[in-house]
Amino acid sequence: MDTVIGTSRVRPDAAAKVRGETVYVADLPVHDALTAVLVRSPHRFARIRRLDTRRAAQLPGVVAIAHRDTVPDTPLDFGIKDQHLFPREYVRYAGEPVVAIAAETLEQARAAAAAVEIDYEPLPCVDNVEQALAPDAPLVHPDWETYEHGASRVLRGNICGQNRISRGDVDAALARAHVTVTSNFRFSAGIPGYIEPRAALARKEADGGLTVFCGSQSPYGNRDDLAAFFGLAPERVRFINQFVGGAFGGKILMAAEWYAAALALQCDRPVRLVFSRHEDGLNVFPRHGGIATFTSGAAADGTLLAMRASFVFDTGAYIGYGAGTGLIATMLASAPYRIANVDLQATLVYTNKQVAGPVRAPGGPQATWAKELHIDEIARRLDMDPLEMRLKNAWEDGDVSATGQTLRSVSVKEALRRAADAIGWQKTRAPGHGRGIACSWWFSSCSRSEARVEIRSDGSVHLHSGNPEVGTGSAAAALPIVVADRLGIDPSAVTLTLADTATKTYDSGVGGSGSTFSAGLAALQAAEAVRARLIERAEDLLEARREDIDLHRGKASVRGAPDHALSFAEIAAGSGGSISGSGTAPEIGDPEFDAESVESHDFASWLAPSFVASAAAVRVDAQTGRVEVQRIVTAQDVGHAVNPTGIIGQIEGGAVQGLGFGLTEELRFGEQGIENPGFQDYLMPTALDAPAIESIIIERPSGEGPLGMKGVGEPPVTTPAAAIGNAIRDAIGTVPYTTPMTPERVWRAACDASAQGPSEYSSRST
Amino acid sequence: MQAIKVNVNGDVRDAMVEPDESLLQFVRERLQLTGTKEGCSTGYCGACTVLVDGEPVNACLFFAVDADRRHVTTVEGLSGSDGTLATLQRCFIEAAALQCGFCTPGMLLAAAALLERTPSPSEHEVRAALSGNICRCTGYQPIIKAVQSAAQALRREGASAPPRTPQRVQARA
Repeated sequence: MDTVIGTSRVRPDAAAKVRGETVYVADLPVHDALTAVLVRSPHRFARIRRLDTRRAAQLPGVVAIAHRDTVPDTPLDFGIKDQHLFPREYVRYAGEPVVAIAAETLEQARAAAAAVEIDYEPLPCVDNVEQALAPDAPLVHPDWETYEHGASRVLRGNICGQNRISRGDVDAALARAHVTVTSNFRFSAGIPGYIEPRAALARKEADGGLTVFCGSQSPYGNRDDLAAFFGLAPERVRFINQFVGGAFGGKILMAAEWYAAALALQCDRPVRLVFSRHEDGLNVFPRHGGIATFTSGAAADGTLLAMRASFVFDTGAYIGYGAGTGLIATMLASAPYRIANVDLQATLVYTNKQVAGPVRAPGGPQATWAKELHIDEIARRLDMDPLEMRLKNAWEDGDVSATGQTLRSVSVKEALRRAADAIGWQKTRAPGHGRGIACSWWFSSCSRSEARVEIRSDGSVHLHSGNPEVGTGSAAAALPIVVADRLGIDPSAVTLTLADTATKTYDSGVGGSGSTFSAGLAALQAAEAVRARLIERAEDLLEARREDIDLHRGKASVRGAPDHALSFAEIAAGSGGSISGSGTAPEIGDPEFDAESVESHDFASWLAPSFVASAAAVRVDAQTGRVEVQRIVTAQDVGHAVNPTGIIGQIEGGAVQGLGFGLTEELRFGEQGIENPGFQDYLMPTALDAPAIESIIIERPSGEGPLGMKGVGEPPVTTPAAAIGNAIRDAIGTVPYTTPMTPERVWRAACDASAQGPSEYSSRST
Repeated sequence: MQAIKVNVNGDVRDAMVEPDESLLQFVRERLQLTGTKEGCSTGYCGACTVLVDGEPVNACLFFAVDADRRHVTTVEGLSGSDGTLATLQRCFIEAAALQCGFCTPGMLLAAAALLERTPSPSEHEVRAALSGNICRCTGYQPIIKAVQSAAQALRREGASAPPRTPQRVQARA
């Protein structure tokens, strides 16, 4: 059998994409669809005194209006039942949808929106994490005590999440350290940055069911949530996913889908809701902003003895899918280093802002940037090479994590060394030039996923997976590779059906670096089943022993007698017209850990952990604070590279997103809410900002992953900003401890450093 | 409504358009040419880039009435009438210069305009020419490579411009 896995391939969906033939939700033919608009709260926090849509309903062309009184009173359940589809008593962020309207034309819908009467009583707001935690802070949820929540969730006033990992005696270890360093960090909220604004088209079916055309990362999960909310049986609700114009974690939770569905259920016409960029910006699920403080102690030889870290994340008005960020942050805080004494805490707080969400590697860029800048600060205090400091403390096979998980297949030192070599770590730097390095670890996810492979009577091979194609190629490129490899055909011969709940191949969605892992496992099993059936049939038809039968180029042939062969079409025809097989990736639980080491933590050990290191070369103009990133090298352990082209795409794209997090991207909030919901002043890197990127793929197979895989998509966005920050300090002796590290902040840091020296050090010698 | 006559991808189209209708609305909604994408509607993402008389414009900011008697090229017009992919399109595929594909049509047209003006662009010239087109997936590197290899291939083919880019036409009367 030819090996297809691990070879570089052209994406099967590429030709349609360069022709402009690929269909995204907004490209679907609309026919008789109504146009929907939303009425959004202009206030960050207000009580709704009166809501009257009667005048709007009488305007020409208006067909349906949805708001708090037209939908079920059931709260949405994301672990804390703190949100209703439409706000009932309070609006809690500027831009929160309050009313949805469907009309014949956009103009009519907008006119009706303007005619909706809402009296608001503005209330004092919670602007940031410090205010949220202040003793006299206004409560974002005045009746938080009445909310139901999961047992592992902490809910107390404005605090809506808290977890802790602790081990050893931090104070005693700090007391005997040669040096202790405290660093305070602040990181900004950011957007996922997909270019395709969210959109949905919903249609009520004659049987009372509902069809939703969407561009989601999680069509099955969304279908289940939506069906449950509206009291429909899941099988009567069909989500048909289209190609998705980028997602990055921002299309896991529903947005447009909810409102289009709420309206469509009221009428007999399809309802189309396409967000403008401005609206998408107001409805965004941003990356968490917040603060972090690290205090660590090290011995004179650089051995890390203790670390205390605390994060406070701004999760916005509702919990949404924001809880994972706090859990992941504590798992990253002391990793991937052997530190015997740790106390790591994360707190999530409500503020009057948009609902923060699981943007690609939730918590990853923030925690890794803070932790790795802190590690460099310790190395500088010890006058130690930052690479040497990391190599001295980094995990090896058999080490245990902060939560007591025994680590296998650990490659962090190799990643560090290879990234350092590639950036030219030992070479001298010209003035104003700097190099930095950073490393981290991440998890893989194996969540429920189903696949079906079918060979039809014409010999064509069809793959049904519930895994949505959001751009990464996990569904469109990787799954066909896996199937083709098992069947001895070219991946381009596999026809993929995009995720459609009517195919009943459930998938947990794109997230947690788990698509090729979970959906790949399901596809592998389905292909193995088809392979076994093909060979079983061929055994009879070719009168040969099964161990002598090869699948090659769409045929089953007898080894040594290549002319003695049957095409897939012939075998299928002899088997009642088609041959099919199914596969199911099980939910694989997390590895064992020490439950005594954690409080309120339900993500305390990581499946098939991956390791990553980035190195950056920068040039800094200390006069202007401008940072030019010249090169980023990322070395990433992927376990087993199923789709190398896709992996390099993830690493390169991750490098530039990481650069954006580090240098330019800042979602700003003011009196009116988000100040930069569009692309004009939210600065995502352009081709001129992006550096040369080198990807180094390391393959240290995991024990748990199918084919030894480890998750790929999220790790490469976690380390670049940290490597850049450390490179800035290498170049000019200082670095701002606030993201984004804008020219102004770099310039101020340089001014402060030359005026008074580093301000946040505290160290002592024993 | 106002009458316009526009050559779109080689076909002359007569249409009545609203005075405030954008070229983007015109091609997507009136002509059903949905390959051109709407990303921001404010001219910052470049997803809607089309060529007007060979020059790249953000179709979201360009009035349809201003395209009257001019040549417009959208992504659908890049490949040959027999469906043959243009060199640039082929190079995008081979270099893995796309992931989600949403920025791709605009990126292709911005690159096509560059190659028409500058057959041998430096890396910096490619980056500068594409700096109005945001890609969130790829990190740009494979896109730059694709444009450079297309430039090389087109030079080899002895062509100074990618196939099917329409020749410049006389200015508006």
